[in-house]
Amino acid sequence: MGLLNNAFPDNALTRTVDEAIGWGRKSSVWPMTFGIACCAIEMMAVYAATFDLDRFGAGVPRATPRQSDLIIVPGTVNAKMAVRVKRLYDQMAEPRYVIAMGACVCGGGPYVKWGYNTVKGVHKIIPVDIFVPGCPPRPEALIDGILKLREKIGRNDVFRRRQEAKEQMSAAYEA
Amino acid sequence: MNETKLHSRLREACPSGVGDLDTSAKDPFVVVEAAALVEAMVFLRDDPACAMEMLHLVTATEREAAIEVAYHLCSYTHHHSLTLKVVCPRPEGADQEWSPSVPSVASVYPSADWHEREQYDLLGVRFDGHPDPRRILLPEEWIGHPLRKQYVYPTSSGDIPLELDATPIYERPEGWTDPEHAPRAAGTPLVQPPNAPSARPHAGGKAPPPKPKGEGDEPATKPKPKPKGDGGAAPKGEGGDDMAAKIAAIKAAKAKKKKEGDG
Repeated sequence: MGLLNNAFPDNALTRTVDEAIGWGRKSSVWPMTFGIACCAIEMMAVYAATFDLDRFGAGVPRATPRQSDLIIVPGTVNAKMAVRVKRLYDQMAEPRYVIAMGACVCGGGPYVKWGYNTVKGVHKIIPVDIFVPGCPPRPEALIDGILKLREKIGRNDVFRRRQEAKEQMSAAYEA
Repeated sequence: MNETKLHSRLREACPSGVGDLDTSAKDPFVVVEAAALVEAMVFLRDDPACAMEMLHLVTATEREAAIEVAYHLCSYTHHHSLTLKVVCPRPEGADQEWSPSVPSVASVYPSADWHEREQYDLLGVRFDGHPDPRRILLPEEWIGHPLRKQYVYPTSSGDIPLELDATPIYERPEGWTDPEHAPRAAGTPLVQPPNAPSARPHAGGKAPPPKPKGEGDEPATKPKPKPKGDGGAAPKGEGGDDMAAKIAAIKAAKAKKKKEGDG
């Protein structure tokens, strides 16, 4: 910005496009209306008035994966549910983010040894951005997870990612 | 009516197949022959003095010699209850793939429908004449019945990995196939036969016959995951024994400490 000092009127800001898009994205993370087990109760508390997720622009749970940016996976993912979770994730549009909420989702939790049909962590099925452990985590912990996710989204290099994707695609065409 | 009166009334109505009343349990129960079960249930439901309107639980227990199926009946009208049990003795030389068979009572009590499906799903009890004999909790392509003592844990369910150290499915190399659970071929039935083979020994189950090599001097470390495709016997009871030994050691140490503290 040093080069542009005094080049604009006082009420204008200069930003990189990446930063501007990241700021827009992180300020309107729309989570999906989705709950599996007991962690979903804490997640609902986060949406509700006491903890008020709307402060961070994420208080608009969407009823369909096609409109959502974020899937919070709250509760034990078993073999039968894992297929559904993966399908929901696949239906979301890029960029999409995943929060694994609770001990079961972070790595099996109490079912890690004797859970015959428990997936030992939802990261075996879909790539996870933020892990929020706890059984269940307090609403504050989930809010902290969402704040961490906001930081992560804000750091995303949109155009660099697009460049990478372009290179990958052209490499795939050539092969 | 108390259980004794209910039992004598039931016995009058269907004398064959109704055993003695066992009052040693908290819920006194009557052992009924499988062949007389439906008749006894119909009588208990329709007899105005019994008026058992509700079958509130069907459950099964695997024991050394038998699998027992218990039916908990109760009456809103008379505020009494009775438990019926069907005992399916384990045939000589039966292995874990044995699955007993009991007549379904879903035609008498519709509430039995899902309970019987659950018992089929988790313990492999087959209910003859059930209107919809499918699994209810586990995926339909699941193999085996997890609450059996000799159940062997699966490594995956279809495409879904179930092990702690499994590779995430989005990181699998191209052309990856599960060596133990090949994808279901087209045309194969969704419901697995109850005697389908299972993949991995369940650490909590009954110990297998000892290996010819000295198994007793195995280190106390956690048994390494078996190489895939090896269907042989691995140390099954070891996890439990290990834990028991640890608990005993901790208890002994605590007792010693306390003694020292007292002295």
